[in-house]
Amino acid sequence: MTTAAASGMKKYVAVYFALLVLMALQFFLGYQGQGGQLVVRFLTFAVIETILVMLFFMNLGSENPGFIKFFVYFMLFVLATMNYVWTDSFRLLLFRLTGYTPS
Amino acid sequence: MSEAHLTMGAHSAPPMEARPFAMPSKKLAMWLFIMSDVMTFAACTVAYAFLRNATPDWPRPFHSVTNVVVMTVIMLTSSLTLLVALEAAKAVDKAKAFQWMLITAAGGVLFTLLHIRDWMGMINQGVTLFHNPWSPAPFGAAFYSITGFSLMHISVGTIALFVVAIRYKGGRYTADDVELFNLFWQFIGLVWLFIVPLVYLMNLAR
Repeated sequence: MTTAAASGMKKYVAVYFALLVLMALQFFLGYQGQGGQLVVRFLTFAVIETILVMLFFMNLGSENPGFIKFFVYFMLFVLATMNYVWTDSFRLLLFRLTGYTPS
Repeated sequence: MSEAHLTMGAHSAPPMEARPFAMPSKKLAMWLFIMSDVMTFAACTVAYAFLRNATPDWPRPFHSVTNVVVMTVIMLTSSLTLLVALEAAKAVDKAKAFQWMLITAAGGVLFTLLHIRDWMGMINQGVTLFHNPWSPAPFGAAFYSITGFSLMHISVGTIALFVVAIRYKGGRYTADDVELFNLFWQFIGLVWLFIVPLVYLMNLAR
């Protein structure tokens, strides 16, 4: 194995262990934590893991800068549309909890 | 008229358009497929988040997630083993690349079996698409659609990996094809890293 390949493998193994540690922390939080902050913490961990996998395991960082921009903008658009939709569930929850029926 | 134009003659190929984002078309196609899959998983996640948030008596049926821990370790390890195969393929070490692709595929098979075992446990508890024993919430529909979509990707991906490995060994595929498959496999591993906290850990019994 060449020096470059060996250095690449070391990087992959380091990211692999980082991902294992992050997942272990998530499982720990899952058993310990409660409340509305839990989902925010989970999503924060998931986003960090996504960045690690995209940059190192999928080598997104070594792609054309124009493509990276295109990809990042696309992901931000998906995130924005996701948040546009699901938050309406609070309205439905309020209706159910209060027994309110829109006329 | 320039000399280049004269030497090209009537049979020359038309000038090629520059490659978008300076990457091979197969690789761009795989990235675009991944992006479309991101939208599909996002839609599933939004539907799940909407249902879960709007339902006051959403069930929390998971007392232990040991099976999920094992599945997660297998998924992450298979991501690493495929990268070992990719590095070997880039170094034109065919035997090693083929061996590590088979190890990765074995991980995929094991993951699929554990996933089915997890589903069987839920089915035995009485969780179906439209019914669950704990509340009227559409828990089964949300659970089976998200995890089922992931299971479909992983099981089909495992079959595809066997095909890629055999074709690579036979000389029909190159390291570039292994790299393309690596993109897909890493993506489905990534999706699992979102499913675990949102579907399993958020629904741990308190």
